[in-house]
Amino acid sequence: MLGLWKTWKALEAKGIMGINRRNADYVLKYNKRNLYPIVDDKIITKERAIAAGIDVPEMYGVIETEKGIDKLRDIIGDRPDFVVKPAQGAGGDGILVIADRFEDRYRTVSGKIISHEEIEHQISSILTGLYSLGGHRDRALIEYRVTPDPIFKSISYEGVPDIRIIVLKGYPVMAMLRLPTRQSGGKANLHQGAIGVGVDLATGVTLRGTWLNNKISKHPDTTNSVDGVQLPNWDGFMKLAAGCYELCGLGYIGVDMVLDQEKGPLILELNARPGLNIQIANDCGLTHRTHAVEARLAELAKKGITETPEERVRFAQELFGHVPKAEI
Amino acid sequence: MRSLNLHLKVLITLLVGLGILITAYQIFILGIPLTEDETDDLWNIDARVEFQASPREPVKLQMFVPPLNQDYVSLNESFISNNYGVSINRADGNRKVTWSARRASGKQTLYYRLVLTKRYSGEQTKSEGPIFRDSIPVEGAEKIAAEALLAPIRQHSADVETFISETIKRVNNVNDDNVKLLLAGDASTPNKADAIELLLSIAHVPMERVHTIRLAADVQQSPELWLRSFNGEKWLYFNPETGQQGLPTDRLIWWIGDDNLIKLEGGKQAQVSFTLSNSEMNAIRLAKLTDENTDADFLEYSMYGLPLSTQQTFQIMLVIPIGVLVILILRNLGGLQTLGTFTPVLIALAFRETQLGFGIILFTIITALGLSLRSYLEHLKLQMLPRLSVVLTFVVVLIAAISLLSHKLGLERGLSVALFPMVILTMTIERLSITWEERGGGHAFKVAIGTLVAATLSHLLMSVPQLVYFVFTFPAILMILVGFMLAMGRYRGYRLTELFRFKAFLKD
Repeated sequence: MLGLWKTWKALEAKGIMGINRRNADYVLKYNKRNLYPIVDDKIITKERAIAAGIDVPEMYGVIETEKGIDKLRDIIGDRPDFVVKPAQGAGGDGILVIADRFEDRYRTVSGKIISHEEIEHQISSILTGLYSLGGHRDRALIEYRVTPDPIFKSISYEGVPDIRIIVLKGYPVMAMLRLPTRQSGGKANLHQGAIGVGVDLATGVTLRGTWLNNKISKHPDTTNSVDGVQLPNWDGFMKLAAGCYELCGLGYIGVDMVLDQEKGPLILELNARPGLNIQIANDCGLTHRTHAVEARLAELAKKGITETPEERVRFAQELFGHVPKAEI
Repeated sequence: MRSLNLHLKVLITLLVGLGILITAYQIFILGIPLTEDETDDLWNIDARVEFQASPREPVKLQMFVPPLNQDYVSLNESFISNNYGVSINRADGNRKVTWSARRASGKQTLYYRLVLTKRYSGEQTKSEGPIFRDSIPVEGAEKIAAEALLAPIRQHSADVETFISETIKRVNNVNDDNVKLLLAGDASTPNKADAIELLLSIAHVPMERVHTIRLAADVQQSPELWLRSFNGEKWLYFNPETGQQGLPTDRLIWWIGDDNLIKLEGGKQAQVSFTLSNSEMNAIRLAKLTDENTDADFLEYSMYGLPLSTQQTFQIMLVIPIGVLVILILRNLGGLQTLGTFTPVLIALAFRETQLGFGIILFTIITALGLSLRSYLEHLKLQMLPRLSVVLTFVVVLIAAISLLSHKLGLERGLSVALFPMVILTMTIERLSITWEERGGGHAFKVAIGTLVAATLSHLLMSVPQLVYFVFTFPAILMILVGFMLAMGRYRGYRLTELFRFKAFLKD
């Protein structure tokens, strides 16, 4: 009992945010319920992002009805690779990634050869709501396939690594690189076994990571160090994330981004209830940082100023960046 | 945000305060018992009147009955008599029943029965009585004897109370010549009372005779004479034999005054015998009875005012918030992962029908089998509604099979499955399999165990009979619960499991 109380006090002193605090002080306070569809539906997110001039993977087309499936060939055209996604899917279910064409058939990233009819059946399943939460009717989204930057080759196993930045009222507060592992099956979700690696907000250099709630410094599949890697175009990521506040209006979000080989940073999706493991990845609590941002906001509100995304990024980088290197 | 917090605090204080106030009012002012097992004494008093009726003469019998304005509450009162007219009238703080018949002959027996209890009496009315009286005129030897007795009494007393008790003591000293003269050789209690009254009247102290019945079971008794006097504030009661002051708590005042218990016209050899018996009665049932027989309607607007069958439903319904509170605490304070928010409460309710042990076994078997069916259906790529229908049908068939099997094996438990748990089981299977797909088997297993634990705990708490009684009798307690739940809504501390989840931070 006493031990638990000590743990409690120590965690509080480090500013570690618990689920209750995240829900009460951030999610419920800053995220209006009626804005949730913007982040829950990937198509709406994308349309909003395009309108705001924020980079997203190019959308080839949307299929809304069974009849619309006939248009699939027109949508694909003669593009060799593309991705089929449910608009309201969760946990990466129902996503079909086509890497290449082979004769009149298609080859998925895992090397499986499938026919055009099989893709049509997959889309039909998406439309009936097989992959959407709660089984509602859904829409299928066909979009550009992201090719991860080769920088991740040595510290990633299959799949596409993505970068998550927690953004409070437009101020980036913490960032994490999510690396798929053999266990996560190429998915970048931490609870499925992916690794989370903290990122210095100022420089974009990776810190140590977390895997299944433990701290790690090497990738379990490639055994390469995950720390000390410089992510290219980091300021681009930060600006992209900061701009998402204006995009969706939600005050506390997790912005998921990828680094495409050719197009650079792109926004994949937004999350209105970002997880808390990012704290373990960064070895740092969220509460102190969010309090600093809230103090800044109060100060600015008094003066009647609102900051641009660039100014917000600079503020966050100055205050939260340049983390001293952890001693191993 | 700050105003919201203040708002919430005011609301919580209001709810909790109101809840405590109402409950305290019920307990302390209305005296509603705290537990169901509390019992109260119930007295059954039979007065049996026998007499010989004179032929060809109308019969009229008058008897005093308790005035019922004391600490006791009558629950039932009956006058049992064949072809006699019965009327009751009040006079001078007494109640009198009159039995009358035009014609009667031979031995007659009449009964008066009173059922009473000491609890739940209304408030005492302010008592009033005379504090002065005129002297009874006496002359000659008696006057001298009385004055001889009074002189030392005056000396040894300070107020009315001590004066009376001193008088009684003197009168009971039968060796005193003055007393002997006043009693004239008759040392019976009524005669002593006459002598006491005479002495007191000379000192202008008023006195009344009080006839009481002792509440003691299975004892032959006749009304016992007590004396009382009003000292300006309250009545003081004295035993004429001993001078003992204060009426014992087991005495019931039957009538006051100098008259005899019964007055008979048209008959002779009237005799009254009293039989008392007591029984214990469940306090809350007694309260209900009292409620019906007095004008204190304190149970009228409680749950006990509902029809009996509805009461049973509400006994279940009113404890559901307690089950929900258990889930709330386990989830938000403990961090236990359960399937959905209220599924555990529903499962806990289902356990009511199946019993706990059997319920857990049934739940586990059916869920496991249902999950395997669900994973098979997954391959068929069915839409949600047809899929759910298939699972539901499967669950029905499974329950039927289990019931049949256990019946053949002689286990009647298997038949206890009601309609209610079936839909809950189907939903559980569906949600569990979704969890399985989204978060993996290990997580699904953890969630299933968490759900079972939460359901078991809330079932155990919801079936504590004392708790069920308490919530049902004092529903205001739910306001306090709501206050607590509201406070939980703004709780930002860690959950117990988070202390372990974030342990990695403390390793350095």
